[in-house]
Parts: sequence; structure tokens; C-alpha cells
Amino acid sequence: MNNRLGTIIGFTFKNKVKTKSFLVTTLVLAILITIGMNLPYIIKQFSSGDDGKAQQIGLLYGSQQETAAELEKYAAASGAKDFAFVKGSNEDQLKQDVKDGKLEGYLKFEEDPADKSFPKVVYAGKGDISQGLNAYLQGALQNIKTTMITKDSLTAEQIAALNKPVSFSSLDISDHAKASAGGDKEKANNQKVMNYVIVYFLMILFFTSNMMTGNMIAAEITAEKSSRIMEILITSVSPLSQMFGKIIGIFLVGITQIAAFGVVIGANLMLPNNVEMLKDFHLSPSDINIAVMVYGLLFYIFGYFLFAVLYAAVGSMVSRTEELGQAVMPVTMLGLVTFYIGIFSINTPESMLIKITSFIPFTAPTSMLVRIGMGEIPVWQILISLALLIVAILVCGWLSAKIYRTGVLMYGKRPSFKELRKAMKAYKI
Amino acid sequence: MVSLQLDHVFKQYGEKTAVNNISLQVEQGEIYGLLGANGAGKTTTMRMVLGLIYPDGGDIRYHGKPYNNELTRIMGYLPEERGLYPKVKISEQIVYLARLRGMSKQDADKSLRYWLDRFEVPEYYDKRIEELSKGNQQKMGFIAAIVHKPQILILDEAFSGLDPVNVELLKATVKELRDNGTSILFSTHRMEHVEELCRRITILDRSNTVVQGEIKEIKSRYPREEVILYTEGQVNRLESIPGVKSVERVDRGYHIHIGTPDTAQLILQHAMAETTVERFEIKEPTLNQIFIQEVGESHE
Repeated sequence: MNNRLGTIIGFTFKNKVKTKSFLVTTLVLAILITIGMNLPYIIKQFSSGDDGKAQQIGLLYGSQQETAAELEKYAAASGAKDFAFVKGSNEDQLKQDVKDGKLEGYLKFEEDPADKSFPKVVYAGKGDISQGLNAYLQGALQNIKTTMITKDSLTAEQIAALNKPVSFSSLDISDHAKASAGGDKEKANNQKVMNYVIVYFLMILFFTSNMMTGNMIAAEITAEKSSRIMEILITSVSPLSQMFGKIIGIFLVGITQIAAFGVVIGANLMLPNNVEMLKDFHLSPSDINIAVMVYGLLFYIFGYFLFAVLYAAVGSMVSRTEELGQAVMPVTMLGLVTFYIGIFSINTPESMLIKITSFIPFTAPTSMLVRIGMGEIPVWQILISLALLIVAILVCGWLSAKIYRTGVLMYGKRPSFKELRKAMKAYKI
Repeated sequence: MVSLQLDHVFKQYGEKTAVNNISLQVEQGEIYGLLGANGAGKTTTMRMVLGLIYPDGGDIRYHGKPYNNELTRIMGYLPEERGLYPKVKISEQIVYLARLRGMSKQDADKSLRYWLDRFEVPEYYDKRIEELSKGNQQKMGFIAAIVHKPQILILDEAFSGLDPVNVELLKATVKELRDNGTSILFSTHRMEHVEELCRRITILDRSNTVVQGEIKEIKSRYPREEVILYTEGQVNRLESIPGVKSVERVDRGYHIHIGTPDTAQLILQHAMAETTVERFEIKEPTLNQIFIQEVGESHE
């Protein structure tokens, strides 16, 4: 029996991996990943050409000469190389210059009737103002305003002290954070970021591979049924071996695909531009929390099997491939719910929703992952959730095997629940 | 030795009885014919033998033992709607199916190559099912059913859809398997195959057994009602012989339908008195006639 299970796994795996559609999908996704990972660098390469010289920004002022002069002074003092201010005389000329691309935009100073102390400043340019420029200008103007109002009453040091931002930061003092922090605040923070990345990544992995491989399982079974080879198969091997052989075979296909993507991601991370980027984010592989990784993979694998047996049961009830899409809908929906509960709750790992769903086998793979990675959870709760998940797999696996045994010989219309229940009683697995 | 024994096997689908108390025995090295119109219960019977569905009543025994998991090794099955993977190489899938039935990879490969050579299509080894014609697909299905050298072979409409050359080829193979000791349960609605291959048959009609036994014995139960008479000259007034139902003139003589066997002797005497008789035969009924008589009647 074990021998035959191995035969089924091998056959399923070999034939799936060899199909053109699988090879093409894997290749296309690998290319997309490569492009996606290098996109920031590529964009930077393209846009840096424009940055060779400073962006020219026009200044339009009437009676607000003083403010404008201060701004020019400030820019010169701060040593900003990206922006340069050019004095303009009339607005039409400035508009024309912006249109021609000579200027990035211009600043218009107007008297503010509500606030006599400082003029109203409007930035006019093509499209929206870039974030960097916006922040720079706002900071500069704020600075100038302070300088102008307090002009003579404060010393330069006092003004500098005023402009210095307040030091404010948060500190996680829960046991979980302390345990992983080991006292090192920065490291703790990095680990938290890394956990976030891992949790997010595992959830997406869980969802996509579940959808893809689940549908593959259902489609394979339906295809075997519609090509009528099922009758020969089911007289050769027990349906239980058949079903789990298929599920494990396709699981290996999924793992192979993930491994291929892993290699692609790894190779991309080795590229110098990406190494630099990681450094900028202060992320290093040493921050990976092994416990989160291990629990995550455990929940991933068990969650996969729970969904896989459901897909197998659905696949066995459908006679034609065309009807499959509609039939797998409920299972797909369940997968979506599981995914979104996890994604939306990733920043609220202590919410009641996530606590409850982390004990429901279908949603546990993502909910528990969020709690382990992002929140605080005693080990016994993790173990209970895992145990519930395993029990659910056994129950659903048994039920699915029954449905499978019954469903694969039913042709024509999809069987109703009543028919199915009646027929199931007649078969041993 | 009895390989396969069905004892009052009964199957019901909802209100409808699919198989009603069928009993039969297939001995080792025997081809047993299961006949019946469409929907008579042949396939259901075969599926019960295969363990695909469970009988609601009665008993099926294999070499005297009830159904068990070891049987998958010794049973072969060619379903009516034969299925193989359309896109998988023939060598791969048939070896796979043989391995599922407990054969080693090497043995399976050797056996497959033997049968491909035997059917004179060794080049199919690397082909896919979808590349073959329908008849050849069926040959591959047949190989898939026998590749693991089963002791009990279930053939559901094995010859349907084949050209005469291939029918002869498969027939010869089936006979060879029988002579090597395989027990074969064989269903069809082509009577000429049954007469050639089977010793014993069961005719099913709408889930009931209507005729059962040895073909020779069954035929003897039915009156011989047709006389073939070839003569040199003409024979007149055949219709006037008592017991003659109808006379049909053919190229070299007459086909005469008679009511009682005695009439045949009267016809012979009458013909001999008039001219020289070249051929005289009291034909036994064909299975076709028996089938139509049994199944056709009850359908009216």
C-alpha cells in the first residue's frame, strides 16, 4: 500500500511538472518576480538622468520680497542641491516656462488676509507636487516664518533649538518583544519588521499556493473522472491512497514551484543593487525569528492539507471540467476569507476576531500566524490550535475520502447532498 | 476449479432493481458470456464483481474467498467506456497502471513491450493516447487490462468499435489467455462472438436472468424450426406438407420454416421422391434468434 502511494505520488508529480502550462507559468512568474524586485532600481536609473541638474523653481512676489529673499537665503544656507530658485517677474512668463519645461514650478507669494504675519504661498506646477519637494518647501517656509517672527528676540541657537523636532518613539514592553529583543532595542525593532515580512510573505504564500494547487488537485481528479480512467484506478488502489497520493504529489509540485521562486528571489537579492536596498532597510537574515518560521511552515503545511482534501472532494463530485469552476467556488471563498482575515489583522494581533479565528481550523493557518509573528501568545494555545487543525484534517480527510469513493463513480448531474449521503453509507473506504 | 462465483447477487438503485438475484460460476480457463440488451444490468454486475459497488444482497466469491484487497493484483478490467490518460505516454501510463496492481516496474515494462510487439505496434510505446485512432486506443486499453497477467479478467464490450481485423486479433488473444488459464467474464451484445468464444452464457433482461447454461444445451432446448434444402431440380408442393409454415425460395433451393421436428423428415422424403437432394440440414437456432425471442418478446 505504501509502495503504491509512492507510485501515485511519483506519477502525479512527474506528469504535472512536465506539462507545458506548468513550465510556462513558472517561467513567467519567475520573470515577473525578477522584474518586480529590480523595478525600484530600474526606475531610479531612469529618473536619475533628470536629476543631473537642480530643479528650477520660479519665485513670484510682489510686496513679499522679504519672505522670498529669506527663502533664497535659507536654500543657500542649507546647501540643497536638488532645488534652485529663480526670480520671475510676471506670472504669464513663469507659466510659459513651466510649460516649456524650463521650470519645475513656481512659488507665488500673496498677502494672507487672515494672517498678517506671514504671506500665503502657493506652489504652481505641472501635475502634483512631488513629496520630497513638498516636504522641503514646507519645512523651509516654516523655518523662515519662525525666523521672521522672532527675528530679534531670540538668538540663533534658540531658533535652532526651536526647530529641532521633539524626540518621540514607541517601545514594545510585552514579554514577546522582550524575549526576542534580548535588551537590544534596535535589534528588537528589526526583528519585528522581519517578523512582519515573514508573516506577510507566508500568508501570501499560503493563499496563492493553496489556490493554485487546490485547483490543480480538483482539476486532475475531474479529468481522471471524465476520461473514465477512474474506473480502472479505483479497481486497482484504495481511494484513500489514491486521494492522498494525488494531494501529496501536487503538494510536491507546489513546493517545487515555490523552491524555484525561492532560488529566483535569492539570486535577485544577491544583486548589488538589492543588497544595498536591504542595507537601507536595516534587514538582515540574522533577524529571522526561527520560531515564527517553523510554526508558520507547520501551519502552512497542515492548512494546505485541510484545503486540499476539500478540493479533492469537490473534484470527485464533478463529471466535467467545465463545471469545476463553479463547484470549487465555496472552497475558494473559504480560502479568501482566511487570507483576508490574516491580512487585515496583521497590525491588530490582539483583536477578538483574530483570537477566535486562530482556533478555527480553516482560518487558523493565517490567524495563528499573525498572533505568533506579530502578537503575544502562550505556546499551549498554539499547540491546541495545531491539534484542532490536525483533527480537522483527519475528519475532513475521512469524509472527503468517502465522498471521493462515492463521487468518482457518479456521472451526469452533480449529486445532491441526500444522494451523496445515502451512497456514502454503502462504501467502505 | 471455480474462479468466480456469484450467488443470488442483488442490487437496487433507489426503487429500481438493477440486478435481480443473478447466480453464475466462471471456471478457471473459461470465457463466460454475459448477454443482454442495453440497461439489462451487465455493467452493474461487472462492477459488483470488481468491488466498485457493493451488492445489496447475495455473495460474490473469488477462488472461494470473499472480496479482499489482494484481488487488485489478480483482476483485470476493461471498462465499456475505456479510459486512459489522453496526454500521457502509453509506456508511462500502462506501466503505472500495472505497478498500481502490484507489478514491478521492470516486469511491467517487459510485459507491455511483449503485448505491443504481439499487436504489431511497438512504435506506440512512446506515443500519447490522443495521437491514436479510436480502435488503437481500445487496443491500448485492452493491453492495460491484461498487462499484469490477471487471473480473473472482466471485459465489458471488448470488441465494440473495432474493425474486423482487430476483432480477430483480440479474439485470438482472448482465446490464448483462456487457454493459459485466465477466467474471463465477457459481456457483449454481438452474438457471433459469444458463440465462438463462450461455453456458457447468461442472458439478462431488465435485471432478470432469462436464459442460463451451456450454449449447446440452451440451443437444444429450442426447437429446430428451419430446414435448408438444396436440390438439383424443382420440388413442388412443399407448402402442402403438413407442418410446413412457410417456404422461401433461394438461389439453389429452399429455406423452410416448420412447426414440429417430424415435419423435417416428411420434407426430406418428399424431396427425394421428386429430385436429387444436394443438401439437407435441420438448422439449430442461432443465439441471435434465441436472444431476440427471449428479450424481444418480453419487451413487447
